[in-house]
Amino acid sequence: MTDSKLSVLDPRGQPAGVYGRRGEAGAHMMAIFDPDVQPIIKLDKIDSLKMAPRLDSLEDKTVYLVDTGFAGGYDFLEEVQDWFAGNMPAVKTVLHKKEGNAFSDSPDLWVEIGKKGDAVVFGVGG
Amino acid sequence: MEDEFGVPTAPIVTARFADYVLRDGRTRGMNLRWTFPPYPVGWVSRETLHGYVQGNDPISGAPIMEEIVAALTQPLTDTEKNSKITRPPRRPRLLGEETESNLHRFFLENAWTDGLPIILPTEERVAEMLTGTDHDPQEVVGMMTVTTHEEMLEYTVERVAVNAVMAGARPEHLPVILAIASSQHPSIPSSTGSYGSMVVVNGPVRHEIGMNSGGGAMGPFNYANSVIGRAWTLMSINFGDARLGDTFMATIGNGSSFTNQCCAENEERSDWEPFHVRNGFAPGESTVSLFRGWNVLTLGVGGAKNILGRMKELQFTGAFTFVLDPLVAAGLKKDEGYDNPRQLSEWLAKELNSPRVKPENINFVVVGGETNPIWETTDYVYYKTVSVDKWIPKDGIRRDERPLRMPTGVTCADDSCGIN
Repeated sequence: MTDSKLSVLDPRGQPAGVYGRRGEAGAHMMAIFDPDVQPIIKLDKIDSLKMAPRLDSLEDKTVYLVDTGFAGGYDFLEEVQDWFAGNMPAVKTVLHKKEGNAFSDSPDLWVEIGKKGDAVVFGVGG
Repeated sequence: MEDEFGVPTAPIVTARFADYVLRDGRTRGMNLRWTFPPYPVGWVSRETLHGYVQGNDPISGAPIMEEIVAALTQPLTDTEKNSKITRPPRRPRLLGEETESNLHRFFLENAWTDGLPIILPTEERVAEMLTGTDHDPQEVVGMMTVTTHEEMLEYTVERVAVNAVMAGARPEHLPVILAIASSQHPSIPSSTGSYGSMVVVNGPVRHEIGMNSGGGAMGPFNYANSVIGRAWTLMSINFGDARLGDTFMATIGNGSSFTNQCCAENEERSDWEPFHVRNGFAPGESTVSLFRGWNVLTLGVGGAKNILGRMKELQFTGAFTFVLDPLVAAGLKKDEGYDNPRQLSEWLAKELNSPRVKPENINFVVVGGETNPIWETTDYVYYKTVSVDKWIPKDGIRRDERPLRMPTGVTCADDSCGIN
């Protein structure tokens, strides 16, 4: 190696303003990493996303507990359901296993929760 | 649910992924109210999970269930109502001048390499690499990510050439590397399960750049195989933004990721049509085919029944790619009547009788030096085949006056071995 100075080019890519998102409903588990079929979302679309207002309390509300498909998620949410039953019995919980795999969309369930649910607990990613 | 349906959510992810999802919130401008139980959650006893739910979030220190209830009921803060997207900065073309040793340290300490020594991408070297294609250096080739949680990064022909230089490649290799880049597939997508990848080259370019399709083709014995395969992972690191523990979460990692089992198909010694021809390309067209999965079992022997037996042991993804020595393909054709691999795929899928396994997801490539009739089993998914030809200069592959070639092994071109 020499002590003379070198100029080198940057090897990194440039931000593209494009993001990956969950796979389509029914998509194969491996599809999430297939650029040909992986759904994407552009910067201008996510720029306007807003969080929902929170509830005053969970009393007499319906809380969906949605297992997203990672190992152990359903059992964990059963424990969460038991906790609500024992500590906040006025909360109605609905335990649901999301269709497909952990990376795919479940639009019918989102519509159902939008109509029948007041809040949702998703878990457990890992 | 939050934006489209107006329903408050309380997402839960294990504490190991806290940084990952918090960064996801920043990059998308929605900082969800996460709860982080201890980990792992999968494959642990019910008593352990009970303890998690009754216990505290190890990141915040708050009781798990209080945190979940608060996530759904505490009013949004002004920051949450008006959150901003955090974007990575645009990259410069040139880095500041430094000494060679400092630059090597800089690339390593920024994790822009695979840990092995690189060739520094000086302007002169990159300019020389760019003679390997006629394409404009500023032409955008594609965009890539190793995770769905980060903004994708876009890359030009020149930035592909930078990574090709770093990998130790020569201009003759650039068209194949550009073809891989154009697929936009990272070789190392982020999965805790530690993906491995494979790239198989078909067509005339194999010989023009001296690739190995014969003995030890997947091993460290061929310059082109090694640097092309390495360039894919360097591009996956630098364009796919693979950062260990941040965007890349493989719990063990995969030793094949250094060069991605890069090889050429042994078309000349195969009794079957070349892989790219079976997938709609012309025999005279050069291509790269990309595969990915988790499991590789190197030693397989025997015919179709033994292949079926191995498949029964390994049905994780529902996909299989078998790498067959030419002697295996010859035996399957001569002794068992499989004139083409499609017949074999259909027979195997029928015999396996699993709803997860379809004939089109059972693939075969022929690689090897006819030392013994051995096959390799993988659960790799075949993703796609990409043409190399569009990246080759109109005057042909730009070879060095005296191309660099490693010694080749004994071949069976004289028909002294093989099943005839």
